Amino acid sequence: MASRIEITLKPELIDAEGELLRRKAGDYFGIQIDGVRTVHIVTVDADLAVDQIERARNEIFTNPVTQISSLAPLPVAADWIIWVGFRPGVRDNPGATAVEAMADLLGKRFAQGEAVYTSRRYCLQGKHLTAADVERIANQLLANDIIQQWRIYSAADWDPAQGVGLIVPKVRLDHTPTLTVLPIDSDATLQRLSKERNLALNPNDIPVIRAYFLDPRVQAERAQVGLSDPTDLELEYISQARSDHCNHNTFRGLFHYTDATSGQRETIDNLFKSCIQTPTRQLQQQKPWVVSVLWDNAGVGRFDDAHYYTITGETHNSPSNMEAYGGAITGIVGIYRDPLGTGLGSRLIMGSYGFCVGPRDYAGDLKPRLHPRRLLDGVIEGVRDGGNKSGIPTPFGQVLFDHGYMGKCLVYVTALGIMPAEVAGRPSEQKTILPGDAVIMCGGRVGKDGIHGVTASSETFSAHTPAGHVQIGDPYTQKKMHDFLLEARDRGLIRFITDNGGGGLSSSVGETARFSNGCEIQLEKVPLKYAGLDQWEIWVSESQERMTVAVAPAHVEAFLALSARHGVESTVIGEYTDSGKLHITYEGRPCAYVDLDLLTAGFPQWTFAAEWRDPQARGLIEPVLGVPGDQNRLLLDMLARPNICSKEWISRQYDHEVQGTSVIKPLVGVGRDVVSDAAVLRPVLGSRRGLAFSQALLPFYSRIDAYHMTACTIDEAVRRLIAVGGDPEHLGGVDNFCWPTIEYDPLTNPDGRFKAAQLVRSCQALRDMCLAYEIPLLSGKDSMYVDGHLPGRYGETHKVSALESLQFSATSVIPDIERCVTLDPKVPGDRVYLLGDTRDELGGSEYYDLLGYVGCQVPRVWPEPFMARYRALAEAVEQGWIASAHGIFRGGLGVHLAMKAMAGQMGLAVDLARVPVEGNPTRDDVLLYAESAGRFILTVDPRHAEAFETLCKDLPLACIGRTVAEPRLTVQGSTGQTIIDLSVAALKEAWRKPFGDLI
Amino acid sequence: MNQINALVLTGYGLNCDHETAYVFEQAGARAERVHINALIDGSVSLDRFQIMSFIGGFSWGDDHGAGVVQAVRMRTRIGDQLLRFVEQGKLVIGICNGFQCLVNLGLLPGLDGDYTRRSVALTFNDCGNFRDDWVHLAVDAESPCVFTRGIDHLELPVRHGEGKFVTDRDTQRALNANRQIVLRYALPDGRPAKGAFPHNPNGAMDDVAGICDPTGRVFGLMPHPEAFNHWTNHPDWTRTRELAKRGRIPMPAGLTPGVRVFKNAVDYFAAG
Repeated sequence: MASRIEITLKPELIDAEGELLRRKAGDYFGIQIDGVRTVHIVTVDADLAVDQIERARNEIFTNPVTQISSLAPLPVAADWIIWVGFRPGVRDNPGATAVEAMADLLGKRFAQGEAVYTSRRYCLQGKHLTAADVERIANQLLANDIIQQWRIYSAADWDPAQGVGLIVPKVRLDHTPTLTVLPIDSDATLQRLSKERNLALNPNDIPVIRAYFLDPRVQAERAQVGLSDPTDLELEYISQARSDHCNHNTFRGLFHYTDATSGQRETIDNLFKSCIQTPTRQLQQQKPWVVSVLWDNAGVGRFDDAHYYTITGETHNSPSNMEAYGGAITGIVGIYRDPLGTGLGSRLIMGSYGFCVGPRDYAGDLKPRLHPRRLLDGVIEGVRDGGNKSGIPTPFGQVLFDHGYMGKCLVYVTALGIMPAEVAGRPSEQKTILPGDAVIMCGGRVGKDGIHGVTASSETFSAHTPAGHVQIGDPYTQKKMHDFLLEARDRGLIRFITDNGGGGLSSSVGETARFSNGCEIQLEKVPLKYAGLDQWEIWVSESQERMTVAVAPAHVEAFLALSARHGVESTVIGEYTDSGKLHITYEGRPCAYVDLDLLTAGFPQWTFAAEWRDPQARGLIEPVLGVPGDQNRLLLDMLARPNICSKEWISRQYDHEVQGTSVIKPLVGVGRDVVSDAAVLRPVLGSRRGLAFSQALLPFYSRIDAYHMTACTIDEAVRRLIAVGGDPEHLGGVDNFCWPTIEYDPLTNPDGRFKAAQLVRSCQALRDMCLAYEIPLLSGKDSMYVDGHLPGRYGETHKVSALESLQFSATSVIPDIERCVTLDPKVPGDRVYLLGDTRDELGGSEYYDLLGYVGCQVPRVWPEPFMARYRALAEAVEQGWIASAHGIFRGGLGVHLAMKAMAGQMGLAVDLARVPVEGNPTRDDVLLYAESAGRFILTVDPRHAEAFETLCKDLPLACIGRTVAEPRLTVQGSTGQTIIDLSVAALKEAWRKPFGDLI
Repeated sequence: MNQINALVLTGYGLNCDHETAYVFEQAGARAERVHINALIDGSVSLDRFQIMSFIGGFSWGDDHGAGVVQAVRMRTRIGDQLLRFVEQGKLVIGICNGFQCLVNLGLLPGLDGDYTRRSVALTFNDCGNFRDDWVHLAVDAESPCVFTRGIDHLELPVRHGEGKFVTDRDTQRALNANRQIVLRYALPDGRPAKGAFPHNPNGAMDDVAGICDPTGRVFGLMPHPEAFNHWTNHPDWTRTRELAKRGRIPMPAGLTPGVRVFKNAVDYFAAG
């Protein structure tokens, strides 16, 4: 029999959660609510006596100082009540911890099927609230129908004795697990099955799959284990493994590239091999610090003689687009499993984020599933809870707004770990599996959640995308597992470890089995959240917080005992073999018997037509503009641009100092509010070595040419590291592509060939830049199909594609953190230097965007001269000559002079006539807002000026002014007049205006 | 001096174990990270330790109130051992989630020698969100607190969503009378924050950031002294260094103020 406990704050206390809802309803929709009180509901569906429930109510669920509670509905005044609870099968984290707490307190074991469910009711007061208002609050602020259900009660409908009643969202499948054998009599049949079962098989793969199962040798072997036609589990396995997400078919494709302007043709076979693998292998030879790349879950670089760092990144776009919180928390918690599953396992030391969404104040006709504002709120909270609750600092992140992300948002997540170079006498970056090793699944249980996540993200989002794959990450369960696995690692109990991510066991076991060349899995041993899953569902479910570990037979007992000590569930589900086969049974009956090498051979390469047209050919021109007269107002308006303005409210929600390693924080300066160029950590406490990390994301330049977009993005990431004191000889990179669909289709993707050409050019720039800057790509991911079809005013749909986007992450090791530099000027009277020349490059700039133009002359990167500057600056930093350093990024010199003034709470007086230029740009707007790459603003103690200038004598360096005590930015124009004269207070007011009130 | 052993509690979502162990080591103690379950199953005994730290983190995901489920588990399984540890005159520090756990256990505020009653709470920040920021703290020099001896102000980071100190009028009066309110959020010039955000980051009553028991041996605080374990943790350190290089201020030297909190605990036993 179920019972219900209602808990609420004592009336005299502020209800912060209710207050937040009240504020949002007013800010977002103009709905005036007088007050909101929140009631938490704990519904216990277990065989317990009333006195046991009472005890739990008193000792667990009610804080005697702040809360009141009751088993009957609490009489909280309300004009309207909204109840929100999870749908059946959605991960209820507080429900799960309630079970643990009650089991502890009452000494009771919860039986299979017994559970605790949590939900909330919001008691709204407001005489003028209408039913429509309340409905809007329920479905646009509180609940998402993919994961939640809700009910609305007016005061008149509310029964104070019954309340919401007893709502038990228990999963009842009433289904006997069934293995289905699928006929493949023709390609058409298999194509139909693919569509019906949402397998997303590529049509070119279908004959290969059929040929395998029709091969007489294969048929004979299958007959011996009791199988004939392929089973649903086998086809699901192949579908997962062949998906673009797992197999990177696009990057491994054959591109027929034509330059329509010059008529030149080129065939590029496999972008991954030619632009990523080959340069990285080459650099690995030159850079002894590169320890392990291109095969494991994350790349490995040397931090010091005794420690390696690990890094990887990915995106979680599709699920976040549908359920922002769940998608984002699952994304960040998921990426944390990659370093944990790298080598013999690394401890997580930081995470970062990149959010790309539509305009926060979008008021147009298109109706995305979630308004960009709501979507952004959700992804911010998801990464917040995922990172904070994992105990991993989040010291870096970026947010971009662009209309193109209305179709599908981008949620980039990146994770770094650290591991000892040696674990129990073995090199930590190496691992393999021996036949006879146990296959152990650790962490969470398996449910229907997350089924077909991989194949769904390999398709454009449409009304038919199955919503069932959206999950809610559980950082608590994962943190326990993380602590356990590291202890197991240090005791030498782990032979091999990998994460369960996309594709679930299908991927993790399927891929690890290649190391021993086979495995036998008893699927009935896999612990389930609830009974009734089909065998294929158990195999491909992406239920979160799981790792797959290979453990030598002699260590299994110790491994399981340690797991129990940490409160972590671990289960032996089979054994690695050397049979060459993936052999799966369920209660003794065969489910799968597939050659492991099936997936590595025989599948046709995807092919793409790519057609490049240069910007002029596409009709892009440089706008004809007169020089602005009101430069003060222009700068203030630039600072208030959504992609420039302060987003402090996001950084502060993220714990960026847990682990005690913070050296350079995300927000720096006197007011601790200006965004740092990069983050620096001291991951090994007690050592003076530091790890610098930065990211860049400049998709705007893709409007002109994705080659230069890519070059500028990589240059910016590198420059950010150099600005804080990074070592130009140790630069590691992670590429993370998010691209709109590149397959040409005259009706659904008429510009597919152009987008394919942009991808080719971007990859070529990646190759060129990495070779020139000597950046091995430690890791990388790609996410295609960043498009959406959005309903408009008349019910028509519009395809909206994202800009071609590349997030580039960069790392460097700093020998001595005490030499690190921040961007804020520190002493009045210092010289202000500009290192690097400015060109007439306003194309794709924030300034042009403000005026409604794209332009043509996109910033370019000149790697050799740029690198000479970076080496010189690194040398000057090492000498201790640099008081502050800041790269010039989006928005150009004007915006970044303002950043420095704001960070130092100090004046800068500069003269544009002294700015080093290349070519002949003399216009003030070009000098102030061109986004030419390769530049820094530095401040230097006059005592070191001569030495610094001597060091840079062959470089474009000029002293452009001084720091001054009065907090005022003054800029003299090229004609000698003062064109900007603004107080730091005025700059800050403009810069904080858009989002300054958000907390 | 005899070896001082400090226990750093781990497990179930706690997460500041490495840096807390590190500051204890800097302070001269031998620190041992011990899983909650190792205390419960008896494989590690509290008897070996002089100092016990309840560390920061998200025990049990902070569900049902931060620190609540941890307190339930520890009270149910090893409540007697914890009380004995305090009775033996040993030291306990609870930081952030650890502070939340101590107040839910009733080890704080320990009024009238009752170390089981929950009479104060740390609830949701008034700002409605988790917040990471450095704060200024005024230390009550008259407080019996062992951990803050010789410290009159501190700058430390807060990182919490549930740090608002709440209690009833009588308890507050008693805490004031006993000088148990050790730390208060302050303005940069040291004056009381008087509730002003973001100086008082959570809306805590009377700006309370940390309290001790009447003996001063049990101490809980929301800010994180262990996160100020090196001078480069401080948000202003690059400016400090630049000014010091030009001879305008001295270069920071010696233990950080954060580590001094732990050093005080170690020294307490040396003083006997």
